[in-house]
Amino acid sequence: MSTELALNTFVKETGGWVASQLEACTRCGMCADACHFYQATDKPEYSPVWKFEPLRRAYEQRFTFAGRLKLALGLDRAVSNDDLATWSEIDYTACTLCNRCSMVCPMGIDLGPIIHGVRIGLSAAGMVPADLLDATQKQVDVGSPLGVDDDAWESRIEWVSDDWEVDIPVDVQGADTMVVFTSIEIMKFPDNIAAIAKIMNASGESWTVSSKGREVVNFGLFEGDMDKTRLFLKRVFDAAVELGVKHIMVTECGHAYEALRWTAPNIMDVPDGIDVTHIAGKMGEFLSTGRIKLRPGAFDTGTLTFHDACKIQRKGGHIQEPRQILNVLAPNAFKEMSPNMEQGICCGGGGGTISISDADENRFAAFELKIDQMNKVGATDVAMVCSNCRLQFVDGVQHFGVDVKVHGLSQMVADALVVEEKTS
Amino acid sequence: MTWDEILRFSRGPLFNAALLVFIAGMAYRLISILLLGWGRDRVPAMGSKAAGVVKSYLKGILIWPFIPWVKGTFARNPIMYIAGGLFHLGLLATIILGTPHMLVWKSLLGFGWPTLPLPIIDWLAAVAIVAMLALFINRLVNPVLQLITGPAEWVNWWIVFLPMVSGYIMTHHLFFSYEVLFSLHMLAVDLLLIWIPFSRISHFVFYFFSRTVHGVEFGKRGVTP
Repeated sequence: MSTELALNTFVKETGGWVASQLEACTRCGMCADACHFYQATDKPEYSPVWKFEPLRRAYEQRFTFAGRLKLALGLDRAVSNDDLATWSEIDYTACTLCNRCSMVCPMGIDLGPIIHGVRIGLSAAGMVPADLLDATQKQVDVGSPLGVDDDAWESRIEWVSDDWEVDIPVDVQGADTMVVFTSIEIMKFPDNIAAIAKIMNASGESWTVSSKGREVVNFGLFEGDMDKTRLFLKRVFDAAVELGVKHIMVTECGHAYEALRWTAPNIMDVPDGIDVTHIAGKMGEFLSTGRIKLRPGAFDTGTLTFHDACKIQRKGGHIQEPRQILNVLAPNAFKEMSPNMEQGICCGGGGGTISISDADENRFAAFELKIDQMNKVGATDVAMVCSNCRLQFVDGVQHFGVDVKVHGLSQMVADALVVEEKTS
Repeated sequence: MTWDEILRFSRGPLFNAALLVFIAGMAYRLISILLLGWGRDRVPAMGSKAAGVVKSYLKGILIWPFIPWVKGTFARNPIMYIAGGLFHLGLLATIILGTPHMLVWKSLLGFGWPTLPLPIIDWLAAVAIVAMLALFINRLVNPVLQLITGPAEWVNWWIVFLPMVSGYIMTHHLFFSYEVLFSLHMLAVDLLLIWIPFSRISHFVFYFFSRTVHGVEFGKRGVTP
């Protein structure tokens, strides 16, 4: 029964975009060598091509002559209930949808979205790891996968505003930009909230947070439940429309940017005239247009490196802005890891893995690649623009006892802000 | 049936029938993909999709599809990069720039083109054959390839290998008489042509889809594909 649901979903998901790419796959296995989970564990089942195997079978057996023939001759198997359990483990605990594999594929197949298509089918069949499902349900019920309800959100914002002495405008009608934070920032990195508020204030941007659209993360996208994905997106867009803003700015969160910026217009009706930006791009823009000034060399001690987040750099395009900022903040201390930028190795904590306890082993194994990279440049500090990566880094360096300080880039920018004294 | 007759049959009616199956089969495959529906991309672009597509092809076709673009991946699977690249180079050079093959193209298309001297083609063909053997062994020993290789992949390997090895033996006049070798080569080619639409050997067509998608997806994000 559940297999049927998964198969129907696979079939529904198989448009020309997906099918033509499945047809292009020559099963050369080169994608495996780009996958941090395969590299870290040497488990062939974790090779990206294997991750979309159920979708390939469903597509071939339903749509192609060769696929039906192979099935009839017993050369290929139909997708079974056991298969779904197997791929639930593979696709949720050993894939962060980082899409690095697509860069190494000689055919240029965009594997990430195809693997996400498998998650959509698994989700329809109810084959989602329990803790991820719980977190998603919590986001449906109280508005945050970490269980931050309206009151908790309000008091955290107030607390940050008081403790860091920073003005955070709430529900300001007619502001230009609506800033949406993540629960991770609200609960674990409140300094990020203060930092982003300081940057926005210093830039002179007219901005606000919304008490209705207060959660930017989208666990529906992780899970592959597109109805929930749309629900969470709609909450943010509705709040933006209500406040009459022109821009929605995603804070240090990768997949939220992926969902709002790159996914939403293709899966739902999005309001006209509201664009989606990311703090990484915004900071770069503020700096190059002179709307904020930074103290040059503010972090120029030790060795500082930058971690490229899959959803913000490789899949988000904000590759140069963080570097432009770091070259001001740490002109001598800043050193690039290799490989980096669009080829950067994922932290291992994205795609929901950090909220799935069964993924812990893989997550830490993959993080060892990051440790290697940091050691090679002798990093004492590492910066990033994604709180999910940051959570994984904080967790990872603690787990392995590595002596590297982990920073959110916004926080460094806020600390280095040159604030011109206003005459009152 | 004499070898002479077999040769005439495999070069004539069978070859034409095989070509027909190939063309009709591939047309069917293409049309069924196109009919699956293509949702319009409504995401506002940050970079240029066209530039992304151009870069995607520059990377993939004009230089060499198997250049290890991503740092650190080559060392993990060098046979696939080297043998995979050399195989495609040797194969394409032979079937496009080899004089006998060009003459076949000319008879089909009505126009020809300059070709490479036989000794060069001969070496390229030999390289392609050795590369195929390396790929065969690689498929046997690489753990990822062991997992993803099924009967279809082995059948494909043989069906591609037979025309290559028979053609090579034929040009060197080894083992059998010329009629026998030419017949075997033509039979192998006919089999290949018939088999392509049913198999993943057809990837040379779908390559253009995936390369384009890749370029569009990265280009619209302003990222080098």
